[in-house]
Amino acid sequence: MSGVTFEAGARRPGTRRTGNVLIWIAVVLGALAMIFPLYWMFATAIRPRSEVFQPVVSLIPQVLTLENFRNVAQRHPFLTWVMNSTFIAVIAVVITVSANLLCGYVFAKFRFPGRDILFFAILGALMIPIQVILVPEFLVTSWLGLLNSPWGVILPRAAEAFGVFMVRQFMVSIPDELIEAARLDGASEMRIFLRIVLPLSKPIIAVLVIFTFMWRWNDFAWPLVVLTDQELFTLPLGLNLLRGEANPDWGGVMALALISLLPMLLIFLIFQRYLVQGIASTGLK
Amino acid sequence: MTNVNGTGTAFSRRHILGAGLALSAASVKPLRAQAPVSLNFAVWGNRAEEDAFRRLIAGYTAQNPHVSIRLELSGSSGQLYQQVDTRLAGRQAPDLVRIQYQQVGRYAKAGAIVDLSGHLDGGLAAQFAPALWKAVTYRDKAFAIPHHTDTLAVYCNMEMFRRAGIELPRRLEDSWRWEEFIRIARMLKDKAGAPFGFACAWQNTAAYRFLPFLYQNGGKLLDEQLLQPQLSSKEGLEAIAWAQSWFADKLVPPTTSIKTNEQTQNLFANGTIGMLVHGDWQIPFLQDAMKQAEWQVTYMPRNVSMASDLGGNCLAVTRDSKNRDVAIDFLRYATNEANMRDFCVAAGFLPVRRSLMDTKLEYPLRPDAMQVFVEQSRTIPDHLAATVTLPDFSRINTKLGEQLDLAFTSGQSPKDTAENIEGTIRSVLKG
Amino acid sequence: MSDSAVMASSVRPATAARTRRSFRRPWMLPYLLITPNLLLFSAFSFFPLLYAFYISFHDWSLIGEVTYAGLANYRRLVADTQFWHALLNTAVYAVASVPTTMAGGLLLAVALNRRMPGRVFLRSVYFLPVVVSAVATGIIAAWMFNEHYGVINSLIVRLGGDRIPWLSSPAWALPSLVIATFWVRVGFCMVVYLAALQSIPTLYYEAATMDGASPYRQFWKITLPLLRPATFLLLILNVIHSFQVFDLIYVMTGGGPGFSTTMLVQYIYQSAFMTSEMGYASAIGVVLYVIVLGFTIIQWRVSRQSENVL
Repeated sequence: MSGVTFEAGARRPGTRRTGNVLIWIAVVLGALAMIFPLYWMFATAIRPRSEVFQPVVSLIPQVLTLENFRNVAQRHPFLTWVMNSTFIAVIAVVITVSANLLCGYVFAKFRFPGRDILFFAILGALMIPIQVILVPEFLVTSWLGLLNSPWGVILPRAAEAFGVFMVRQFMVSIPDELIEAARLDGASEMRIFLRIVLPLSKPIIAVLVIFTFMWRWNDFAWPLVVLTDQELFTLPLGLNLLRGEANPDWGGVMALALISLLPMLLIFLIFQRYLVQGIASTGLK
Repeated sequence: MTNVNGTGTAFSRRHILGAGLALSAASVKPLRAQAPVSLNFAVWGNRAEEDAFRRLIAGYTAQNPHVSIRLELSGSSGQLYQQVDTRLAGRQAPDLVRIQYQQVGRYAKAGAIVDLSGHLDGGLAAQFAPALWKAVTYRDKAFAIPHHTDTLAVYCNMEMFRRAGIELPRRLEDSWRWEEFIRIARMLKDKAGAPFGFACAWQNTAAYRFLPFLYQNGGKLLDEQLLQPQLSSKEGLEAIAWAQSWFADKLVPPTTSIKTNEQTQNLFANGTIGMLVHGDWQIPFLQDAMKQAEWQVTYMPRNVSMASDLGGNCLAVTRDSKNRDVAIDFLRYATNEANMRDFCVAAGFLPVRRSLMDTKLEYPLRPDAMQVFVEQSRTIPDHLAATVTLPDFSRINTKLGEQLDLAFTSGQSPKDTAENIEGTIRSVLKG
Repeated sequence: MSDSAVMASSVRPATAARTRRSFRRPWMLPYLLITPNLLLFSAFSFFPLLYAFYISFHDWSLIGEVTYAGLANYRRLVADTQFWHALLNTAVYAVASVPTTMAGGLLLAVALNRRMPGRVFLRSVYFLPVVVSAVATGIIAAWMFNEHYGVINSLIVRLGGDRIPWLSSPAWALPSLVIATFWVRVGFCMVVYLAALQSIPTLYYEAATMDGASPYRQFWKITLPLLRPATFLLLILNVIHSFQVFDLIYVMTGGGPGFSTTMLVQYIYQSAFMTSEMGYASAIGVVLYVIVLGFTIIQWRVSRQSENVL
């Protein structure tokens, strides 16, 4: 036993180890390429203006400066923009995640006339390009008196077809027996949802939080027509303003882009543990 | 919640303040009661323009304390039109808008901006440059008031010009002919180490900046009565072929065609090109960003005649404004002599009032360069101005841009290019 | 598909029947619970879509009056070479970007599912671009791909190569977009595949190893087939995404040079806001919606037949 397996065992792990190392090197090189644009954003943001347009740029900035950040902060109410983006993203997460959980739960665990039709209609909403409905959607928002208000950004995007879909896929896999048992014990529907379904749904909630926060934080086309007051702008709108046709100050643009990235990174780092787990539990098996 | 409360108290405080002022004003002269009025004013612009607009508003509201005006800043003129059009569809447009002369006809035809003719003094028209006053009229009625103009000229990297041993013309009459211009572009490449000779700032929605070259060659986009296209004329085809040759001969960077987001001023600032055909509003940027080399401005090239572009903006009141009288009053204020001078001087534009056009303005930034633009602005052909201010010009402009881009980047022949553009012009003018 | 699922589905009707008999679940409860979402969808998705459909039979400049046009917009569309060009571009973009992104995501997922130093960190790095906004992505991409002062050409020049006309040549513009799309989307594909990989029981591989199957053979015979639901989900989401991509192209190429990167959505935007033909823009929009919907339904049918996913 020992002789043969030793021979084979010694050879195979050896080639596998070099294979592993090669794969690791490839993955690390790929990761460097992936992170490079973000590094470049950073490198441009801390470069003095005179260095920015060189035909052959140095990879590492020769002079470090915070002038770009200072300029942005002095010229624009960028802290207000951060606050607005945060307000919109946080409220949107609360509304969207609650509404989607309810909705997904119903589509997964209730049988009622019109269910499939409604579910497919909602899925159909996923496929509408925003440019097609931008104007009618604006009209509705205007009739509701939501223009130039954060609610005009939050409510029209509060129902997310993708979220409903993911929640339904997840909750289908919650055993019916669990819910039935609770009903037999006389638990109310509300209690079943809050005490049994929700605690089991943590992974999918994490996924929804990450994605909803990300979508609202990064939204551009819709807030652009709803918000006209600079004091109400979100970060992408501010970024767009800085990029405007006249004379974009690229260092400033990159500085603001970098700042707008940080909260997203934070959310991601907090919830990333659940990300893979959450998506894994939506019926991909 | 706090937001709502906040505006609520601000509103009532302003209300009381306004009432108090109205009372004190009443003792001086019996005016109508001045209820608080708030207006929205949509503009785009760089820092200098934004600051100038804010000063204008501050000046007006100091004189009229019951009025408050909120400045809404868009990222670009294109975004402003998208936002304003969408809001017009929802009857929620801002009271006041800054628009290009090219857009007056479109908005006026649709009834989206207000006919000002009944509200303005009879003598006002005579105080403005005739071509620009004509640009803001639709069917003989004024729908906007001219605010300023700008035009194109040629920025030159003097470092490169010295290396190549080229002098700039001193007078408008001595401006370069086409062959000379091309010869200089080649010399900049060959002798002065410029990667490319020059570039023209006609990107995105600015395809109409091709027209000066067409007129320089004696061509026109439309016939004399503006009823039929005339681009397929010999002069028209030559002008397209000429611009096409810039790309074929690599005199201009290939990225400076029309459908691109290239910022030509960056290419000039970093020495990629030796000359830049651009407008006066680039002066502040270049003054700031171009440290390595000295730059100067010279006149547009010419062939059989001189021509440059009609740029600049006017101010209008939209049909959704609930306080038209106050809004129109603000227009009058913004375009009076003193304020027009301030705005033009601060943001680097050319005035459009006759009284100011005849005097020399004291531009703080590069007065030498501004002087070239002032002189160049006299070469804007009236026919060009009338063409680009047609109500449906934006549709023609989109086609112009897209077809010229095909000619420059994909080798479409001048003949096909002109014919495709003419096809659209015919259907637009018919409809 | 799995045993437990089969069991569950065979048990379900009985339990459902019992539920209905023994408990009085108010019949309107489900409707009540989905009301908030339905109201929002109705107001901000369904109604606007119907409205766009209505407008597609009219002429409307947005700033003027709405006038009835019958089928004129649809007739114009059929004869409009630009529309077909944009449709072709959209299809080419989808065909170029969807498979590359998904293959990249799959390879990364398989690699990063192994034990290796810094695995969690590496996964995060690959996912990071997903959270960057489209506006910021477009800005940084346009910045890096710039022919004259972009860092990519700068690196190429240093290594002794010639500047590549990334955004100015019709041949390179689309590849530039595909590269940028890959950067943005590959992390998402990777995470979905990782999730799917982790729910494959290790038992299968142990059994296959016992039978002497090579890792390569295991990948083709076990991993890929079991990843089919994930592939299906990604295919649908990526195709929808590639038909809707706007901000990135708007910032990077503006649809040029020529028509080489003008997609259907760009054409809709141009018709609606640059040439003020909302009726025509809506007609293109309706057609685009029908195409995406049709495509999704076909994918659904196909995968349902082979896999019974939903």
